Amino acid sequence: MSTDDESFHPLGNEWENELEEMLDDTEYDSDLGMEMAQDAMRVTKGELSEAEFHEMYHDDVMEEFGEDQRPTEAAYEEAQAAEEGTMSRMLSKFEGDGEEGRRDAMKKMGAGAAFVGLGAWGTVDDGEPEPQEQVAAAQEDDGGDGTQWGMTIDLERCDGCLTCVTACGNENNLDQGVNWMYVLEFEDSTPQTGRPNRLVRPCQHCTDAPCEKVCPTTARHTRDQDGLVLTDYDVCIGCRYCQVACPYGVNYFQWDEPDISTDQIEEYYTEEQGMDSDHMTTTYENGEERWVDSRAPRGTMSKCTMCPTRQDGEMGEDMVGTTACEQACPPGAIQFGDVNSDTSDASKYATNPSRGRALQWLSPPSESALEEDLDGADDDLESVLEAAGLDVEDLMLMKAVGITGESMGEGDGDMAATETDIQAALDVIEAHGLDLDDEDILDELGLGDGDADDAQVVLDQQYGSPESSFLLQEDMGTNPNITYFGHEPGPNAEQTEPTGTGVEYADLSYERADGEMVDMVDNRKEVLDEETVGDAGVSL
Amino acid sequence: MSTKTPSEGDIIRPIGSFSKQFIALFVACALVFGAFLVAWAYQLQQGMIVTGLSDWGSGGGATWGLYIGAFIWWVGIAHGGIILSAAVRLLGMDRYMPVARLAEMLTLAGLSAAGFYIIVHMGRPDRMVTSILGHYHITVNNSPLVWDVTVITAYFVLTATYLALTLRYDITRLRDQLPDLFEPIYKMMTLGYTEEEDEIVERMVWWLALAIIIMAPLLLHGGVIPWLFAVLPGMPAWFGAVQGPQFLTIALTSAISGVIIVAYAFRRAYDWDHIMTDDVFRGLLLWLGFFCLLFLWLQLQQNVTGLFAAPVSTDVAQTATIGHPVYITAMVLVLGTLAYIFAQTIRPSLFTKPRAIVAALAVLTGTLLEKLIFVVEGFLHPEFEIYAATPGEYFPSAIEWLSLAGTIGMVVLFFLVVAKIVPVVELHAIEHLRGDHGHGEDTEHATEQEVKA
Repeated sequence: MSTDDESFHPLGNEWENELEEMLDDTEYDSDLGMEMAQDAMRVTKGELSEAEFHEMYHDDVMEEFGEDQRPTEAAYEEAQAAEEGTMSRMLSKFEGDGEEGRRDAMKKMGAGAAFVGLGAWGTVDDGEPEPQEQVAAAQEDDGGDGTQWGMTIDLERCDGCLTCVTACGNENNLDQGVNWMYVLEFEDSTPQTGRPNRLVRPCQHCTDAPCEKVCPTTARHTRDQDGLVLTDYDVCIGCRYCQVACPYGVNYFQWDEPDISTDQIEEYYTEEQGMDSDHMTTTYENGEERWVDSRAPRGTMSKCTMCPTRQDGEMGEDMVGTTACEQACPPGAIQFGDVNSDTSDASKYATNPSRGRALQWLSPPSESALEEDLDGADDDLESVLEAAGLDVEDLMLMKAVGITGESMGEGDGDMAATETDIQAALDVIEAHGLDLDDEDILDELGLGDGDADDAQVVLDQQYGSPESSFLLQEDMGTNPNITYFGHEPGPNAEQTEPTGTGVEYADLSYERADGEMVDMVDNRKEVLDEETVGDAGVSL
Repeated sequence: MSTKTPSEGDIIRPIGSFSKQFIALFVACALVFGAFLVAWAYQLQQGMIVTGLSDWGSGGGATWGLYIGAFIWWVGIAHGGIILSAAVRLLGMDRYMPVARLAEMLTLAGLSAAGFYIIVHMGRPDRMVTSILGHYHITVNNSPLVWDVTVITAYFVLTATYLALTLRYDITRLRDQLPDLFEPIYKMMTLGYTEEEDEIVERMVWWLALAIIIMAPLLLHGGVIPWLFAVLPGMPAWFGAVQGPQFLTIALTSAISGVIIVAYAFRRAYDWDHIMTDDVFRGLLLWLGFFCLLFLWLQLQQNVTGLFAAPVSTDVAQTATIGHPVYITAMVLVLGTLAYIFAQTIRPSLFTKPRAIVAALAVLTGTLLEKLIFVVEGFLHPEFEIYAATPGEYFPSAIEWLSLAGTIGMVVLFFLVVAKIVPVVELHAIEHLRGDHGHGEDTEHATEQEVKA
């Protein structure tokens, strides 16, 4: 690629000219486009702020397009906290929002696409990707740092109880064998560690989801608002190419009429649960209502959704940022949250897994109970521990969590709540007169000098640090949004049975919205074969 | 060579006559096709659960099976048919002129069967128009399935145009001998015909032929169809650049076999020994042998690279394939055909038409089996082959098997119907065989070249 000095664009003159021609083909002012692109490039370099950029061209844009839907300065200030702006997002505002006539919108899209193309290179600084990919990415990407729901799954904490699998079936009213969430135990060619290898396998909600890429209808889509990869059951044609292209095998086709009707699901959620939502359709941020949740209707594809009804607040605000599987998991092996936010459960756990384990394990005394207990007690370590009913280890771990926490209590996940509780308890103890930062006290607690490294050693020793951290099948280039801790399955990994601590799929069941109990099935084909016409009972 | 002189009467003969055999074949094909339509209706009513398919992964099955295997098989036959016809026009292979139109028709029939399979294999075929066309401008950028639909449509249009243009010449000249029953069809097909257009049409058809010859390897059976599979890294049995050439050679072997069978059937039914001469069949057989060789050569490439020191997942998939009875049967059929064809070139007395038909049927069976096992093997041995407790299993259900008979019946019906309306041999071919065009020397020259090839 050439980077001619005369071109403002990193790709050089040729690319610039090509895009200029694209602009010439639209009825809009090419010069304005080029000027804006040049300055937009400065925005990406940090020489110009978004707000300044907005102001500079506001009048010109109004004159040319009759509207300027780029973020205003006020909107920008607001957005700044949530996400870092890119030129592509600013320029993509030219693409229309559905309020104007379709024809107008199409014309503007022509201009918008070229504008975005000009800016696309400003949004990345690594590698040399194809220009077209960049344009496409720029159009799809609404900033890169917005919400991206994802998970951190600690496989070493999983005991294979399959509660997450039943909870998912229950929440989504899945047919027998449709295990959107799936847990398997496997043997690998590496020496056994004494602990069984397990894999918890929901959909990976990939940032570069191959299932979405191959979909001939756009039914499989990634939500701009939160990165969830979902299927629009009203659009899917059931070609099953998404299932073919997915390297993880997480898709489940609805081969026949589902065992439970939409009416029954709706009745359950709206009447029995008293929800406003039917747990099937959910309203997107752009106002669209789409049927993307719960079991699929006949002839369409389904898979783990990461509970969009919850994420959209339709089950109440306190359910936002939770999934059925995460809530059900007894050992807290699944952490769900916004992986783009440092303070979500998923990120906190991913950043420091042994500390994450501690936060799952510790249950600090409540502030008020602790104050009451400490009332009248002496302020030396021994007295405090005795009065509070804590042992040295408890306090050591709480203090270690406090020392290693960079954003104690920040965020709205369960882990942040536990951090807040721990901090409160530590504060009560400090207020009582025991200086936990005192060298001698730290020494007695086994926290060395009390620095982060010492505290980390304590946490690692207590809870163990995981064998490895990995993304599943990372070399497939899918950029999955689930981070795993534990043993990564190698190319020779093979599932064994039973899956859990003596628990087999066949031993478990879950309740459906119509009150029926569904017996779990590991191999769905056994269920499907019952309806196969002329099942030969053999396999190719 | 026959001593009879080819005449217009010869190529008109199928039109307007109804033999007992014709009616029997028509009824038989209609019954088989009808039976599949009933079965399909049942599938629409019950859902895709009536098939032997399941989800790969914890579903313990194959996502795609015979429907997709047969889809590629038909597309292969279809694409090869038109390539053959285009080659006749473009490379002056006049020897094959008598079967060129049959090849074109085989393309239309094959594409129809393939298109039918796309619909049959979908969970919600009723949404074909709204969901696919409605988002076409977005999905055409990245979905190989949309590329497929696009290119197949383009091919259908190209072939239909090609056929319609060349038919104008014939219909105008033979109009007096064609039945009045179909007058509206003939009128429509020859709308605005003037003799001056012949030259222009010939040029147009040449360009169409060129487009087809170029598109076939780049886009069609060497392009979007193999890309459906070859671009997916999750399936080591499919991933890789060899699939393009491999698919193209399979298409060509299947298509030449198809043309041999169709041409033989017409020759027998209408005593066309002097039009579709033994020479044509010998030539087609030689080409079949050549493409069988390429087919096996590319299989060899896959086996050697997949088994010598391949990555674990590729090794597993290829080991499973090479040991599979269906795969072995397919390879033996093609290899056997190749051996026969080479033997009969060395000793021409080994050639008989029934043997040529057996060779063609063997290759068609071989390619169908290869397609079937190719599609299924992908799901049985994916890159992420951890689901050992729910290993992939698949066997086509009765309805799936019936679809195969049904589409074959459909294609035969197509020929039976079309043969009653328009001549299936070009008038040009008759004129050429009579030496009207004075191309005698060229023909001999071309034949020599082909024999050398």
